[in-house]
Amino acid sequence: MKVPVRWLKDLVPVEMSSEEIAQRLTMAGLEAEGIEKIGIDWDKIYVGTVLKVDQHPDADRLVLATIRAGEIEQTVVTGAPNIEAGQKVAFAQLGARLVDPYSEEPKMMTLKANKIRGVRSEGMACSEKELGLSDEHEGILILDEDAPEGAPLRDHLGEDVIEFEITPNLVHAFSMVGIARELGALAATSVTFPDLTDLSVAEDTPQLVDIQAPDLCYRYVGVVIENVHVEPSPSWMQRRLNAAGVRPINNIVDITNYVMLEWGQPLHAFDRTDLAEGRIVVRRATDGEQMETLDHVHRKLTSDDLVIADAERPVAIAGVMGGVDSEISDDTTTLLLESASFNMLSIRHTAREQKLRTEASSRFERGLDPNLAMTAARRATALIKQLCPNATVTEIADQYPAPREQKTVVMPRSEIKRLLGVDFPDDQVIGVLQRLELSPKHVENDGQPGIQVSVPTYRNDINLKADVVEEVARVIGYESLPETLPVGQTAPVMIDPVLEFVRGIQDSLSAAGMNEVITYPMLDDAELGLLNPDGDEMPAQLGLARRPDIPFVKAMNPLRSEWRQMRPTMLPAILRNVAENLKYNPLVSVFETGRVYLPEGIDQLPDERRTLCAAIAGTFNPADLHEHAREADFFDLSGILAQLFEEIGAKNVELRQGSHPSMHPGRAAEIVADNTVIGIAGELHPIVAEQFEIDRNQRVAIAEIDLPLLMELGVEKFAYRPVSRYQPVQQDFAIVVDEATPAGSVQRVLENATQPMSTSVQLFDVYRGESIGEGNKSLAFRVTLAAPDRALQDKDIDKIRKRVEKQLKQQVKGALRS
Amino acid sequence: MSQDLDQLKQEALDRLQTVSSEDELGAWHRDFLGRQGKVTTAMRGISELPAEERPGFGQAVNALRNELQQAFDQTQDKVLAASLQSRLESEQVDVTLPGRKPIPGTLHPVTRMIREITRVFGLMGFQTVEGPEVEDAYYAFDALNIPQDHPARDVWDTIFIESDQREIVLRPHTSPMQIRTMEQIEPPVRVVVPGRCYRYEALDATHEWHFHQIEGLAVDTNITMTDLKGTLAEFARQIFGQERKVRFRCDYFPFVEPGVDFAIDCMFCEGSGCRVCSGTGWIELLGAGMVHPNVLRYVGYDPDVYSGWAFGMGIERIVMLKYGIEDIRHFYQGDVRFLSQFNRVLA
Ligand SMILES: [Zn+2]
Repeated sequence: MKVPVRWLKDLVPVEMSSEEIAQRLTMAGLEAEGIEKIGIDWDKIYVGTVLKVDQHPDADRLVLATIRAGEIEQTVVTGAPNIEAGQKVAFAQLGARLVDPYSEEPKMMTLKANKIRGVRSEGMACSEKELGLSDEHEGILILDEDAPEGAPLRDHLGEDVIEFEITPNLVHAFSMVGIARELGALAATSVTFPDLTDLSVAEDTPQLVDIQAPDLCYRYVGVVIENVHVEPSPSWMQRRLNAAGVRPINNIVDITNYVMLEWGQPLHAFDRTDLAEGRIVVRRATDGEQMETLDHVHRKLTSDDLVIADAERPVAIAGVMGGVDSEISDDTTTLLLESASFNMLSIRHTAREQKLRTEASSRFERGLDPNLAMTAARRATALIKQLCPNATVTEIADQYPAPREQKTVVMPRSEIKRLLGVDFPDDQVIGVLQRLELSPKHVENDGQPGIQVSVPTYRNDINLKADVVEEVARVIGYESLPETLPVGQTAPVMIDPVLEFVRGIQDSLSAAGMNEVITYPMLDDAELGLLNPDGDEMPAQLGLARRPDIPFVKAMNPLRSEWRQMRPTMLPAILRNVAENLKYNPLVSVFETGRVYLPEGIDQLPDERRTLCAAIAGTFNPADLHEHAREADFFDLSGILAQLFEEIGAKNVELRQGSHPSMHPGRAAEIVADNTVIGIAGELHPIVAEQFEIDRNQRVAIAEIDLPLLMELGVEKFAYRPVSRYQPVQQDFAIVVDEATPAGSVQRVLENATQPMSTSVQLFDVYRGESIGEGNKSLAFRVTLAAPDRALQDKDIDKIRKRVEKQLKQQVKGALRS
Repeated sequence: MSQDLDQLKQEALDRLQTVSSEDELGAWHRDFLGRQGKVTTAMRGISELPAEERPGFGQAVNALRNELQQAFDQTQDKVLAASLQSRLESEQVDVTLPGRKPIPGTLHPVTRMIREITRVFGLMGFQTVEGPEVEDAYYAFDALNIPQDHPARDVWDTIFIESDQREIVLRPHTSPMQIRTMEQIEPPVRVVVPGRCYRYEALDATHEWHFHQIEGLAVDTNITMTDLKGTLAEFARQIFGQERKVRFRCDYFPFVEPGVDFAIDCMFCEGSGCRVCSGTGWIELLGAGMVHPNVLRYVGYDPDVYSGWAFGMGIERIVMLKYGIEDIRHFYQGDVRFLSQFNRVLA
């Protein structure tokens, strides 16, 4: 809300700079978002008097005006149609900075001397547009007659405008009077309220207004005023409206806007002669009922919308916008002035449905005080009488079925200390509450001292004792609160094991050279379709997840259609990341520990599963002094995963040969723990890579692992093993197995058979050749053996070799090569 | 015979003079002092001597052996020293050549900041918990004192999830975990909740539709607003430096009363006003306040017995302020050139 400071100071005469006002109100909950300083750049512009106006010798439409501003007297050439001798005008000397009136964009220009049709012009009489006051450029700005000639224009017309953010609870401060009340309470200064007309003298005419929907309209004040004369409003009013950001229209409309700005109560003026039977019916619209609003849009209404109608048809959408049919025109002489109070939810609903948020609706939907309706009607009437001296109030109706009463709230005296942690002296607390017009009284409350406040009906934000505490705290000032630390019991320690687990995984992978990324968790069907190398349909397997047979978790209002549903797999996001990063980096090695969102059915929250996705692609050591360049492949990723599994104690986790629609058919693995598939890993299918805009010859190793399953099934407790004091023995085993037997199975047999002596089992060679027979391969392992309590002897080694031999034969049909 | 020994000695010493490598050294030792060496062979000749000459000859051979051994040791020292010297000379490197670096990995700056913040609050007794991102409107709004159709509900530009009966949203803040936590445990409560949040908000340099928050909640008998101020000041100084000044001002959030806006003095202009702080000298860090009595009532805590406070802050904003990052979009574009900068071991 824009608050012109001169206007504010008329209401509450504080001796404070605009900056101080902004700062005090900000601290108390009314945040100032900025201060606009109208006239700050009006250098060399003065209040001038037009001494005489002569015809330009060579141009019919130009005049030569002689203008005096104190010591200065100059002749200017102007085409302004409204200039006359005796006027006070804004006189700009050469060198003044003005808004270029002919530029589309806001642009400043410096005033220079120039010859117009042979006559030199030494300055300018400015229009409102040139001064940056409004878009008005038809004629020059005429100042009030009592404007002090020679004074800098800034002193006369300059204005500071503070823009406040009004939070939803602050409807009482959504007006000049409301902000004046706030400032008055903070600065201990009384508010000077504007003049109101006494309407009780007018004839009470209840039949003027019929409220047929009392649940949506709490009060309707209708005032009939005759003999009004529609014309532009006076410059002081126009100036205030402009400063507050409202465009002046005519005196009647301007008055309704002025009172809305002043008191926060939106008003509407109808031309009464346009109202059928000259009366108002407040009712629900019928379904499909139509009307044209002031913005010339034809609106279709439903029975959820409240309308202001005459005897026949709607003439306004209640609380939102008036209709064109009863608009005030230059010929209007009889008004029906509306000052009403509506159900906030209804106004909010209609404004949202009609996509029509107006100054009026934004006030009504915060819940206006029905008692304000009469105040505003009286204020508007006073202004109409002031601007149209012949106007007379002839009829009035005040339909107010259930008048709103003041509430009282009792706050135990101890509540301030209990909530704030500090207390304030009684007279300070009472003083603050008095300044807020809360009429505090000392009372007894359950045998304890308390303070009772009577809450004015315009304060709909004070209902509980905590609200009263806030009033005390914000007026005294939060800055006076000391800093303390909580005392008392600490909560029992509970460390979330899942968070610790995720942290360990992040640490392990980043230590292994991977960059952690965080990606958007939303995608669309098309993105999932890219995971299919054989078509556009999404494949049966989406990363680790099976394609569900119920709908995905979908957003109703996604920001972009490609962010429509919550991801069931992280693969697409990570692949997008790899594709993008490969453009700028030789090697991409990234992971994310995010979530996938598996649907549980409509109206159910999804299963948000913490998931790891990791990928490697590109070239190691692309230009290295010490090492040769090497393309990353599946084993770089599987090695990092093996290291990860070791570090988190996931001993039971193994990779098995697998197949996956998105993966290279020969380079895909299942990650298995306790016979459950907990993840997938592999090299991306070249066609899928291409679909994600990665070169099909670029190997991309990628894995997706369900972290709760990994934690639950894979992880074993850490078991310390004392280091043997004896010299370890290294034994090599060359094992011949069928080509189809996975090395992992052989490794596992070897590990088990050499327990508890083996400390490391390392595969170092794979050999194929005639000597071991066709269809076979020989796997060479180096096993490091040591016993905790003795040096191993030849007979120990023999025993181990025998055991290895036996188990290899039984479990993988393998044989030791001698 | 002694003549032979003199000749042998001369021969040995002459040849020792020529030794310049470890190999030649070994050969010399083998030839003269080894088991088949000439000195040993000479000793064997003792048996051919008359008995009376044997002791003298034996002594002479032993003396020769000792003398040659000494000469050998000296030569060996020289040769080894020389060969080490030449190795050291030949192995000189340019130490400014690049070393063999391990491949650096990094944690995401948001992860780092979550860890930093939860660590600070952890030291003040706060547990870290997480909650669902796809959330019931009940937890996201209603139980937080933001009823259906309340204008305050508009403040959160919410992304809604398709559903039939139940209103489900992508949580626009981490505050639903206030309710979930209090539903699960009895006071004392002290938790911080990091997590992803979502808003229906167009993307620009300072706005993301997908972002992270950290929620904080403390509830007990005797939890006060001065405690909130002290705790937040402690947090801000830990993250942004001990010299930071803090500002507490009144603000409105439906689930707290009294409500607070918490700011620190601008670290870019030291409070004198600049573009980052919109000329105010203050940078708003977070919203906070005393837990609203209605919220306590919703979870079955007696607001006359218990009091508490809560706060919520955007993590990206904290990271941006701390490191001077100019555009929030960097966080989720995933550019490794951005991410890999966050490799400092110390914050
Ligand atoms: Zn600054």
